[in-house]
Amino acid sequence: MYAKKGYELVKEFASGEKGQLQPFNEDLVNQVIDQCAQHYLELQGLIRKMQGENVDVRETRNADHHGALIHHLALIRNKRCLMAYVYNRAEIIRNLAWKVGLELLELPEEIQEKISHSEKNYYGKHSAALQSYMADVGIDLNVDMVPPKDPYIKVRVLDDMGEGILLSDKTANLARHSMHFLKRTDAEQYIARGLMEELTG
Amino acid sequence: MANYYDIDDILAEEEFVPVVFHNAVNGVKIDESTERGYVEQGSKAELPFWLARELHLRHAVSMRVPACFNQKTRLEMQADAACVDLRSRCPYFYEFGCKLAPLCDKTIGLLLSYSFRIRYKEVLYKAHTIAFGAATKFLALLTKEETNLYEAAQSSMVAFKRWRMGGPRLQRASILGRKRKATE
Repeated sequence: MYAKKGYELVKEFASGEKGQLQPFNEDLVNQVIDQCAQHYLELQGLIRKMQGENVDVRETRNADHHGALIHHLALIRNKRCLMAYVYNRAEIIRNLAWKVGLELLELPEEIQEKISHSEKNYYGKHSAALQSYMADVGIDLNVDMVPPKDPYIKVRVLDDMGEGILLSDKTANLARHSMHFLKRTDAEQYIARGLMEELTG
Repeated sequence: MANYYDIDDILAEEEFVPVVFHNAVNGVKIDESTERGYVEQGSKAELPFWLARELHLRHAVSMRVPACFNQKTRLEMQADAACVDLRSRCPYFYEFGCKLAPLCDKTIGLLLSYSFRIRYKEVLYKAHTIAFGAATKFLALLTKEETNLYEAAQSSMVAFKRWRMGGPRLQRASILGRKRKATE
């Protein structure tokens, strides 16, 4: 059936969990593009046939016209599927920059593997734009929106993070399972990445 | 028109509609089982909605009512709308119905609002009371839209409980997915 490949691509995107990234399916994307080329060839063939029969391509509504129309619609449909796939992934990638971290290397490895080369580029540029804007206005826009009751929070380290990590007011030795009293703004990014958890009570 | 990039909108338009061709069409293979590269006038086929709509507007085909809005479904809806398995009939029942109603059968609108009124109540009620184990059976009946409502109701309940009991404000970013055990 027509424009089936584009549908498969969108379906694959939708089958993942909401707001989460799946590996960029380059293979399927290429298949959609191949199918577009195929539709275009058949469309051209039908138009040429009409011109060969000396009928007015714009006005005639014969069988060839409707065949060409179907191929044209399938092309547009495939285009929409491709655009939606890339657009929705870009949205998730922007979210990563806002919520997790502005450096690509800070992202967990399993996420990095899922991002295609051009998406990495996009991520880098979006982060750079965000950083320069935040430097201009002088506010960290990607921290928690709710004002804290206390600037310090108690955290537990969940993963080995190495020694001598530089925080804003001290260097800490963040060994696994150790507990610390950290500035909230320092801890936030590590919590978001799942390296620490906040302790309450 | 809905958002061009909307994934659900794209999927909803892939639902099939039975059509009758008014014109012959050359150079296409609608039915993959045949080798013929053309469609005869008056032949019947099932086309995805995005294709059927455009051809319908150009008077090349006329649409028939798809199976998920037929008389049988309507009777079942009248019996007890909350128990009808809409997911297996059409996971985009409401969205698809809204798109279809102006083109082929205006009474679909009444069917949609009637079934939504009854099912909405059930969805909200179940979202707040049902135990997690029993939910899967009920969830299997819901359309995509209803599942979204169900999840919204549940997450608002969870958020309310967390607000009342207190708890850590900062959490791992949900965008990273569920936590997996570190491979040691």
